[in-house]
Amino acid sequence: MNLYEFEGKNLFAKHGIAIPKGVVVRRGDDVKFKIKDLRFKDFVVKAQVLSGKRGKNNGIRFCSSVDEVVKACEELFAMNIRGQYVSALLIEEKLDIAEEHYVSITYDTNKKQPVLIYSRQGGMDIEDVPEKKIEKVWVDVRQDSPVVILSAAKNLVGEPDPSGASLPQDDIKEKLWKVFQAEDTRLVEINPLVKTASGEWVAADAKVAIDDDAFFRHPSTGSGPTVTDWTTFEPRTMMGRLPTEREVAVKKIDEGEKYYQGTAGKYIELDGDIGMILNGGGASIANMDALMKVGLKPANYTEYSGNPPREKVYQLAKIVLSKPGLKGLWMAGVVANFTNIKETFLGIIDALDEMKPTYPIVVRRDGPESKEAFELLTACAQRNNLNIKMFTKDTSMSETAKILAGMVI
Amino acid sequence: MSILISKNTQVLVQGITGKEGAKGAKAMLDYGTNVVCGVTPKKGGQEVEGKPVFNSISEALSVIASEAKQSPRQEHNGEIAASPTAPRNDTWVSVVYVPPFAAKAAILEAIENNIALINVFVERIPIKDTAYCLAAAKEKNIRILGPSSLGVVVPGVARLGVMGGPLINEIFKPGSIGVISRSGGMSNEMSWQLSKNGLGQSATVHVGGDLLMGTTYADVLRLFQSDEQTKAVVIFGEHGGSYEFEIVELIKNKGFTKPLAIFIGGKFAQLLPEGMNIGHAGAIVARGQGAAEKEKALSEVGVMVAEKYEDLVQLVKPYA
Repeated sequence: MNLYEFEGKNLFAKHGIAIPKGVVVRRGDDVKFKIKDLRFKDFVVKAQVLSGKRGKNNGIRFCSSVDEVVKACEELFAMNIRGQYVSALLIEEKLDIAEEHYVSITYDTNKKQPVLIYSRQGGMDIEDVPEKKIEKVWVDVRQDSPVVILSAAKNLVGEPDPSGASLPQDDIKEKLWKVFQAEDTRLVEINPLVKTASGEWVAADAKVAIDDDAFFRHPSTGSGPTVTDWTTFEPRTMMGRLPTEREVAVKKIDEGEKYYQGTAGKYIELDGDIGMILNGGGASIANMDALMKVGLKPANYTEYSGNPPREKVYQLAKIVLSKPGLKGLWMAGVVANFTNIKETFLGIIDALDEMKPTYPIVVRRDGPESKEAFELLTACAQRNNLNIKMFTKDTSMSETAKILAGMVI
Repeated sequence: MSILISKNTQVLVQGITGKEGAKGAKAMLDYGTNVVCGVTPKKGGQEVEGKPVFNSISEALSVIASEAKQSPRQEHNGEIAASPTAPRNDTWVSVVYVPPFAAKAAILEAIENNIALINVFVERIPIKDTAYCLAAAKEKNIRILGPSSLGVVVPGVARLGVMGGPLINEIFKPGSIGVISRSGGMSNEMSWQLSKNGLGQSATVHVGGDLLMGTTYADVLRLFQSDEQTKAVVIFGEHGGSYEFEIVELIKNKGFTKPLAIFIGGKFAQLLPEGMNIGHAGAIVARGQGAAEKEKALSEVGVMVAEKYEDLVQLVKPYA
């Protein structure tokens, strides 16, 4: 999950990285009241969105009076930035900038270890910085401190800092490494890392992505100075709007006690009208392509996998079926390896019994106990008078997309 | 000849006393895989599927080794530390079925005991734990398959994990096509499509869908390259991640020279905002690494690119 800038900065501050003074403003807040205690000469107002390139898209405003700040807030809340919903604004003191640097840590999938990327040319897209001006240091994730490794020249690519290894920004790198490690992130980025006119190093921006799979190490109970409580992060989506009720509800399914038993938590609402219940991360994306190839439009992207219990599938199916305006439902999955088709279909049947949809339904699935599963589904179709066609492994998934297209009016 | 596993492979199941672990052990035994024992801390002394359960891997290895020397079975209490000079246990494979929060400790235990191949079934392991284990494994030249890997099927020889489920004999047939997939479901589905059309498999390998992979497509292609049984390979690829580009490099460097057909799923992902995560964890939509870019780079080095995954079968048929 990507964090908003202000959330990322809170994590930075927790580990001793300096951040500008400021406040977060929400929609409907009284901006004047919120900033009454800020004695800044100049302000910067920043839209809080989940992707980058905010500056180039007019999402950052510099202001020299309270009235200007109020006006900037109104304008920013009325915008979408590169399709991203503006969830909040961060009002900060404008920094007196002497230098802008860049530093980030993320996983290099090639070397399968974290890579620390640093450049003295910050404040722009790192992709636009010439390769030889970028320092890359691969860090063994088992290390507590990256600084030891920083001095190892063999790991250095590009131009090392001319003034030597021990620089004030090395302290920032070490602290950033602590954020990366302790907060279970997949990406931490400070761009720009600002050196102010008075010589302080300040994180002027924060881009942080947390690793959702580590949520069990960040519970609501036991949160303290060392553990950040992830359950307090507000729901979010990158779809350029607030997350829908259904999206929020699906996310909760996998957070229960049985979180490690299968996965049911993928639901993204889209513009189309065909409900989708797919299986497996790989087959599901291939089937999204297959559905669109036959001219249908998905109402959602949803998949469950890893043998989830009946209850999880029921909750998921019910949410998919509850989207208004559906004209069809496609439940397409592979020949399962170990997902119990009977157990998971029972969850679907529970939802069908409750919702009794009248639009066409096409099912394609096979695997453990599929014979019993299809018998149960057939009985469910009869008692609810469903318009349903069912297929096993003898018919390919793409073929059943065509069949659904023929049934949908 | 076979890749990754053979008739001689000795399998131990970490987490055998759990629901999925017991299922995994049974699935392997049903297919004739030599499952020797299981390991679950504090559950030593039990039996699952007729196989003994030990408290630790070191205990398991020393008891099995002493039994092999036909010495009488001894009682073992507590853990026996792995000797730092312990030889690599090249015939041993561990299959890991534990909850995500216990995965790191389990994998590290297998590494400490020099198990040559560790198949990690566990899904949703924090990436930090995966990176830690991969670093530890690399140091000892130990192969990790996964995380989130359902394993390997070498038709007619053995399987690691649960791929194929109860339908394995229907779905998998011995033959000359190698299959690699990021998706467990598609590993099965593709093998089925091949068998249905009269093409058997030399091996089907599920490399897992996580962002960090212990064994990549390119790693498996190297194995298929030196496997005489394999005449051609099919891959089910995904948008996002950079692993398909390793294939491009491998082919350019002549590390893989057999016919290869690939399908890259997830074109619809281009309609979503950059950075959005769908499908597998590894499939974060990133600029320059979408399905279209991958297809272009792969076809430039002579890889056959399928429009639909069903087409993969026809593409490799002439080479089988």
